[in-house]
Amino acid sequence: MGRSKKSGLAKTRAKSIALAATVFLIPALLLIAVYIIYPIIDTFLISGYKWNGISSNRTFIGLENWMNLIKDKLFWSAFGHNLVVMVFSILLQIPIGMMLATFLDAGGKKFNLFKTIWFLPYLMSSVAIAFLFTYALATNGGLFSALGTLIKGQKVTVDLLGKSPNALFAVIGVMAWQFTPFYMVYFIAGYGNIDTTVYEAAVIDGATRVDYIRYIAIPLLGPIFKTACTMSLIGSLRYFDLIWNMTQGGPVGSTELMATYMYKLSFQQFNMGYGSCVAAGMFILITVIALLFQKVFVVKEDY
Amino acid sequence: MKKKFWAVTLGLAMTAASLAGCAGAAPADGGAAPAEPAAAEATEAAAETGGAKATDGKNLPELTTEDMTIVLWDIATEDPTKTIQEGAVARFMADYPNIHVEQVHQQNDNYKQQLVVAMSSGQCPDMYISWGGGPMAEYHNSGFADDITDLYNTYDHPDFIEAAIAQGSYKGQILGIPFGGMSGCDVFYNKTIFAEQGIEVPQTLDELEAACEKLKAAGYTPFSLANGSKWTGSMYYMYLVARHSGNDEFDAAYTQENGGSFTSDAFIFAGDKIQDWVKKGYFPEGTNSMTTDDGQDRQLLYDGSCAMMLHGSWQARSMAADNQEWYDENIGVFRWPVDTEAEAKGVPQNVEVGTAIGNCFNFNAQGDQDKLNAMYVLATQYYNDDTYNEEQMASNTIPSINGFEKLVTEPNMKIITDVFFDASNVQLWYDQYLPASVTEVHKDSMTALFGLEKTAKEIGEDQDAAMKAALAEQ
Repeated sequence: MGRSKKSGLAKTRAKSIALAATVFLIPALLLIAVYIIYPIIDTFLISGYKWNGISSNRTFIGLENWMNLIKDKLFWSAFGHNLVVMVFSILLQIPIGMMLATFLDAGGKKFNLFKTIWFLPYLMSSVAIAFLFTYALATNGGLFSALGTLIKGQKVTVDLLGKSPNALFAVIGVMAWQFTPFYMVYFIAGYGNIDTTVYEAAVIDGATRVDYIRYIAIPLLGPIFKTACTMSLIGSLRYFDLIWNMTQGGPVGSTELMATYMYKLSFQQFNMGYGSCVAAGMFILITVIALLFQKVFVVKEDY
Repeated sequence: MKKKFWAVTLGLAMTAASLAGCAGAAPADGGAAPAEPAAAEATEAAAETGGAKATDGKNLPELTTEDMTIVLWDIATEDPTKTIQEGAVARFMADYPNIHVEQVHQQNDNYKQQLVVAMSSGQCPDMYISWGGGPMAEYHNSGFADDITDLYNTYDHPDFIEAAIAQGSYKGQILGIPFGGMSGCDVFYNKTIFAEQGIEVPQTLDELEAACEKLKAAGYTPFSLANGSKWTGSMYYMYLVARHSGNDEFDAAYTQENGGSFTSDAFIFAGDKIQDWVKKGYFPEGTNSMTTDDGQDRQLLYDGSCAMMLHGSWQARSMAADNQEWYDENIGVFRWPVDTEAEAKGVPQNVEVGTAIGNCFNFNAQGDQDKLNAMYVLATQYYNDDTYNEEQMASNTIPSINGFEKLVTEPNMKIITDVFFDASNVQLWYDQYLPASVTEVHKDSMTALFGLEKTAKEIGEDQDAAMKAALAEQ
């Protein structure tokens, strides 16, 4: 702004805009402050205490919890499981979601029924899914054991949830079943965003459907991929409910994730101080990984 | 980039928020509802009785005549317990119309967590159900479970069995009044299969193993076990330890003093025995993936693939409820067999596993003596009164009160009750007795043991380490 003086009217207008903005933002900011910012700060504060979660006397122990966290094998093994879940979530959910979306996009309205059916898993609550699959994967009378028995002609038992490392991969499979539909819809929306003229131009230039998908649609979906990956990454690092209801982190901690570990410490073992430290540690780890991912893979803003 | 940073940060924030949010906020009333109808009934009943109280003539503290509200948490969400417990409260309120009891039924699954959240946010109920053991000690040390030893010694109370009061006590102070009845732990077996194979009820461990061999040879899996729940496998471990060493080695391991350790003789014996049995196929395939809450272990008894199941006595109730006819025809009970080798050395063979209190009430009066008195009267005179106990017996729950063992007639319950009342000592389930952090390690140890992932010595060392850490905390 080169001018030092604005006209009275513009000034008033700017003022009233600022006022309106403040009024409209206050409720949202308050909610964010109370339910997000305050709890985060509080988590970090509690992580400096030795506290069983119920007693009125907490003992301040400085960084002792943090020192323990750095040496805590259980925490790092849980983090390792989170990383495995993360990698497989991205490798399974996004490509399959993409393929389903491509299929549906090519089929148009004829495939609306599939669209609805395939989306159903995402609409179910994690707890319900957990129960469903606990039975489906059961060693006795479960789907896989029954199939094996059918094929082999004698009683076969397939132990998917009771052994390591089967359990972790079984759970990853169930997670993929749950979340793939979300990415499917996400990619369908992505396809919908591509201007039809692009497709028409490609066809006029002699491109086949496959050429179009490979050379035009997928590159145009690039940013969507990156966002999807980021979401899947964050989601799998803070995952809790399905695992908790299927395995509670077992057998022998082989499906323990950072979040289930935190929950056990805080609410079952009366160790809220250290549980908060784990939560804060998770927060830092997830932030760092998500930012690194953004830095490395999201080269430029486009679309 | 800044925008992105905030987007990511906000996206993540939920992680931390989910924990701290819980710690600070008031408890959500998930599925819990105060029992309003009970209150209405109470007033009606009061009008009828016209002042004569059930407690008249008893040696009890004088209760306040001023208005008072008692917030009570239980887990009686289902009948018959719901009706029985609401009845007790209704009778109390009829006799003391000025005292209002707000009875809140919590879901069992997340009750303990709910309670922790309530305590941490200053919303702890005035009286609440607990299972004794490590968590109760934690509540007491944090100032949420009053010492009622004086009240108990001064005033009337039912003739509770000693083990029940012991399990509701901590460091010599009485903290809990039992009201849930006792639960033993015995072997349920399929009488039909035993008869078909010509197997007698085993009295010794050797006979038990011989029976297992015979069953195995005939194509049965000897034991049904859903060890996904972990405390189920622990029953085998606890009993093998108890028969091999009575209470001595466990008590020593608990204090970690005088050479006490979870790697001592009896623990190694128990762990090795279990792993030997696992290798011989005495337990079902995939036992670590099955849970008992949805009855997967009972299922294996029902379909005839397993012949025995060591379990809590409430299973008798559950099986009878599933199919009374089948239960009567097929299911028998025997006590865990004797360890002859240990017996020869003079180890008592009547230390049993189970819980004498089932549940107890703990009290959080925060210094309000009037309130504590009222709660004491409610817990000892209305819960645990004749009506209450009769209703309990009718639903196959034996009150932990002397004399009731003589009233049991159902043959299986009779065996269970006799075993329990003849015990020289009742070892409370390890997973309730041990401090909470050790419980977690103990439960994981059971998974590792039955999954053959760790040896008896290794799990012993894990439990020792956890126990030492827990003792250091105290």
